[in-house]
Amino acid sequence: MNIQDLPFADPGTPDARSGPRFLLWLGRQQLGGQFAALGWGLLHFLSIAALSYGTGYAVEAVLDGSGARLALAGCLLFLFGGAIALGDTMLHRRAVTNWITTAARVQQLLARKTALLGSALTRRVAAGEVVAVSTGDVEKIGWFVEALSRFSAAALTVLTVCVALVVWVPSLGWIVALGIPVVALAVLPLLPRATRRADVQREKAGYATELASDTVAGLRVLRGIGGEELFLDRYRGASQEVRGAAVRSARMWSLIAAAQVLLPGLLLIAVVWQGVHLARQGRISVGELVGVYSAVTLLNFPLRHFEEIAMAYSFSRPSAKRAARVLALTRDTDPGGLRPDALPRGDLYDPVSGLLARQGRLTAVVCGDPDAAGRLADRLGGHAARDAGSTPSVLLGSVPLDDLSLETARTLVLVQDKDPVLLSGTLREVLAVPASGTVGTAEALAAAECADVLDALAQQSADGAEPMAAHLTERGRSLSGGQRQRLALARSLFTDPEVLVLDEPTSAVDSHTEARIAEGLRALRSGRTTVVFTSSPLLLDRADEVVLVHAGKVTATGSHRALLHQDSRYRAVVTRGPEDPTGPGDDTRAPGTPPTPRTSTSTSTSTSTSTSTTVTAPGEAAREELEEPA
Amino acid sequence: MIGVARPEYDPDGPLTAHTLPVGEPATVRRYVRGLVHRHRRAFLLLIGTNALAVLASMVGPYLLGSVVQALSEEGASAQLHLGRTTAVFALAVALQAYFVREVRLRGAMLGERMLADLREDFLVRSVALPPGVLERAGTGDLLSRITTDVDRLANAMREAVPQLTIGIVWAGLLIAGLGITAPPLAPVLLIAVPLLVAGCRWYFRRAPSAYRSEAAGYAAVASVLAETVQAGRTVESHRLGPERIALSDRRIREWTAWERYTMWLRTVLFPVINLTHTTVLASVLLVGGAFVLQGWIGVGQLTAAALIAQMLVEPVGLILRWYDELQVAQVSLARLVGVHDIETSGGSSTEEPRGRRMDAADVHFGYRPGVDVLREITLRLEPGTRLALVGPSGAGKSTLGRLLAGIYGPRRGSVALGGAELSQMPAEKVRTHVALVNQEHHVFTGTLRDNLRLAQADAGDEALWEALEAVDAAHWARAAGDGLDTEVGTDGLPLTPAQAQQVALARLVLADPHTLVLDEATSLLDPRAARHLERSLARVLEGRTVVAIAHRLHTAHDADVIAVVEHGRITEYGSHAQLVAAEGAYAALWRSWHG
Repeated sequence: MNIQDLPFADPGTPDARSGPRFLLWLGRQQLGGQFAALGWGLLHFLSIAALSYGTGYAVEAVLDGSGARLALAGCLLFLFGGAIALGDTMLHRRAVTNWITTAARVQQLLARKTALLGSALTRRVAAGEVVAVSTGDVEKIGWFVEALSRFSAAALTVLTVCVALVVWVPSLGWIVALGIPVVALAVLPLLPRATRRADVQREKAGYATELASDTVAGLRVLRGIGGEELFLDRYRGASQEVRGAAVRSARMWSLIAAAQVLLPGLLLIAVVWQGVHLARQGRISVGELVGVYSAVTLLNFPLRHFEEIAMAYSFSRPSAKRAARVLALTRDTDPGGLRPDALPRGDLYDPVSGLLARQGRLTAVVCGDPDAAGRLADRLGGHAARDAGSTPSVLLGSVPLDDLSLETARTLVLVQDKDPVLLSGTLREVLAVPASGTVGTAEALAAAECADVLDALAQQSADGAEPMAAHLTERGRSLSGGQRQRLALARSLFTDPEVLVLDEPTSAVDSHTEARIAEGLRALRSGRTTVVFTSSPLLLDRADEVVLVHAGKVTATGSHRALLHQDSRYRAVVTRGPEDPTGPGDDTRAPGTPPTPRTSTSTSTSTSTSTSTTVTAPGEAAREELEEPA
Repeated sequence: MIGVARPEYDPDGPLTAHTLPVGEPATVRRYVRGLVHRHRRAFLLLIGTNALAVLASMVGPYLLGSVVQALSEEGASAQLHLGRTTAVFALAVALQAYFVREVRLRGAMLGERMLADLREDFLVRSVALPPGVLERAGTGDLLSRITTDVDRLANAMREAVPQLTIGIVWAGLLIAGLGITAPPLAPVLLIAVPLLVAGCRWYFRRAPSAYRSEAAGYAAVASVLAETVQAGRTVESHRLGPERIALSDRRIREWTAWERYTMWLRTVLFPVINLTHTTVLASVLLVGGAFVLQGWIGVGQLTAAALIAQMLVEPVGLILRWYDELQVAQVSLARLVGVHDIETSGGSSTEEPRGRRMDAADVHFGYRPGVDVLREITLRLEPGTRLALVGPSGAGKSTLGRLLAGIYGPRRGSVALGGAELSQMPAEKVRTHVALVNQEHHVFTGTLRDNLRLAQADAGDEALWEALEAVDAAHWARAAGDGLDTEVGTDGLPLTPAQAQQVALARLVLADPHTLVLDEATSLLDPRAARHLERSLARVLEGRTVVAIAHRLHTAHDADVIAVVEHGRITEYGSHAQLVAAEGAYAALWRSWHG
């Protein structure tokens, strides 16, 4: 597998039963790459070890006064040097490729999983977890899977060199063969503590970053009301704690670094001590002594990989566990569906609440409890989460939506929730959703009254002309809440599904515009089934039928005007009057009159007097009440 | 053709909008000089301990060299003082281990201190930004600087700066050591220089920007996924799943293209470094060997020189490895230091309002030169008046509200409070008089107390409870368990939007400005929750001058004066009754609202 062949056409089906199994599965997926890395790693490390042989050979040639052998040593050195360069480069390429293919595979698996889970993700705690896996864990998983082959190469090299030394200079070689394992394993006991400290540091750093981003995110509030010093102090405290934790962690790592100097150093001393004795007795040559010395110093390189693999494993194990958990998530309902996909038509009926939306009509739903409204809207789309037990599915025509495949159910019924998200991209990309094709984008944008959004985007875009090519920054955050809401509505209208369910689609839109949207929506959706959850009279007045839902059940049905006359509960929700304390029938106002003032305060100040003449305001302001009118 | 071309698509390209300035090279240099100066003692200490560590590390090769020398000259009868030599060697190893530990620790301490300075400086600077800049630039760019850029710098400060310092000192001392043990061999090192210089120039000319693009590409992969997760509902209901997968695959392709390119860069660099190393070692041995054969230097000198030359691999590798990182970090540093280039002083503090009357006279304002979004606005607000601004989206209502709150200064004309020009006053002063309340009800991570106290730093618990009481929030705050100490925000008790808004309102009670500008403060809330909140709001508004940007007509109905804003001008102005009687745009709307 090479990098240019990425992404995978199919990232495969992971073994997500546990973290280690997942790591194993990932390793198995790239056995070829692992063996290639092992091969190049062996070449690299063995050539490094051979370099010390060359050095020893050169020194010996000089001692023997042989120019010819010195030249030969030079050739050998360049040969080994070339092999090191080749081995190092190719090992690096292979290792990086292994890392990237693993990371890409995990990212692809995550993308597929999240796309499948869709709305189920937002209902679970998993949302934050998925992001954590994709931003931090993937790298650690990739690191371990990749480091495995390098470690194997290093371990084989160390073994080979020890054996070679025992064969080449048996009298010195045995010291090295005994000493190297000690050097390799001695720091391992320190590693868990060091990684723990590194974890603490990372955690604190994460908290400090969170505080900083929280402060910056609320900066407008701070600048508008005050409290900068309070939050700065808090951040300074957190930042200094990060520093403290980092230094604590550095203490451990510096101890490990010291051990990595001390232990090989002691081994070297032993080699020199014994070597000099042997050389004196003439049992080994001076060149052999220099060669062994240089081999021990060079073995430090492969030895680092022992430590690395231990670290990589301790870092990647929790990551792999989390990744496996995310990849093992499933939906509540079978997204494949139980019955062959037919495309039913007809009325939409919810047996639980009794809500009936007639085919081709505009039904408005008034629901006192916003959360209940959201849940009901969700149900209307089918394949909703089943929080407690199973409930009968919503029927379209007479077909339960849960029995259809998720894809079909979503094609038939589009539920636009209360907080639809504009995905980032240009406006054209934002509107590029699967659609029936009957409604054009221009039509949809016009019906949702998006002219001012297009103007704003046109001003923003570089060439100033093409609003469709303008980028929505930060997922449309440069637009106002109302503008975002209207774009989302335009997107739903463009999709033009058989049944469109809208939950408070105009709550952030001003009344001027809302009135026009109500007209546009009605016109564009004529002949299609539409359900709008709203409490705005401007929308309710244009619905074919208005349904009042209370405590999860339909309690009244009729036209807006009729309900306004007949149902005090309806009136209470829609006109935002005080919740009727005296029960139904106690209607002190004629229908259609302005709503009653909401509080005593507003009665005292809003006496509907003439333009900007001074109004008696309670409290201190009254002192200035004799200012002349504007 | 051998090699990999630079990918065409650059994820680090201009699409990542910089809404705030990036530091000029001069500003960055000045900042770095200041930083080094602040920590000069730590730097000197690091260099000192490092030099000692390196010196200790050279004792081994030196001792082996002299042993080899003695053995070769005198054979088995050599006077070796083996005991003493071993003791010196052991001492040297112990000292080296100690100083290596010191270097690691001092390096980390220095790096951490600089990093803490950097991030704290940045936040200090950020919280002093004028509100107008924040309104216009948004907080997204700042946010990415405090997260991504600080992260990238963390690596540079924690590792690159100390390691580079170490590497340079180390390499310098090794070369000096070589020069001392075997002076004739020192020039031999130069043989490898041309190869190294040529290779590094080629590499470093391409690498930094390539690594930035690679990092941006990788971040893009993660951000597609994060977005899919956050927009889970939207993705599912609009059947965008396959598209998200395709997008994710595309981002992976773009990212891996850069990985492949940087891998090619290293495919050139690695052999250069390896061959440099081989060349140095081989030339020292060959040339030195020839010198020994000629009798110009001893075999001990040759051995020591060869071993030192071999030791050069590490510092040279260190320098090359971290130099990269430093170059990448430079860009992040420029972005952090960039906020220093923004003017923070918001006018003179001598302007002192007399009274509470708000006057806007012939105000013109636009965000971009030549395009006015507000024209000829003249208004007078007597203390205690409630003004409602109504009109279609994009007509300029919010902008007018921001001018009245002193966040923007008018291009022409004036907005004055009690005779004092608002735009001439610093934000800290303006907010004691006027507050803007918008849809953003940020709840800070921390205790409920912190969330309230920001409005009045010296407020006691009693005052805080009173404020909560005033906005109808005391009951849930009491029920929350720890009362004012309850942790709220991302990690703590999740507050409903309505509760968040109550907290925002309680802050207003504590801050107690006499004039409030409400920009669709309750519009994003569910109508049902909004109604409940409006009662809290009404209590907060009591006795204050209020400018309400109204979405809903009942807000306008309750106001003393209504201004209809259309196309940047006030087209209708009067009380509800007057405007209904006038039969204009407002009247038409009112009728449709009531049917």
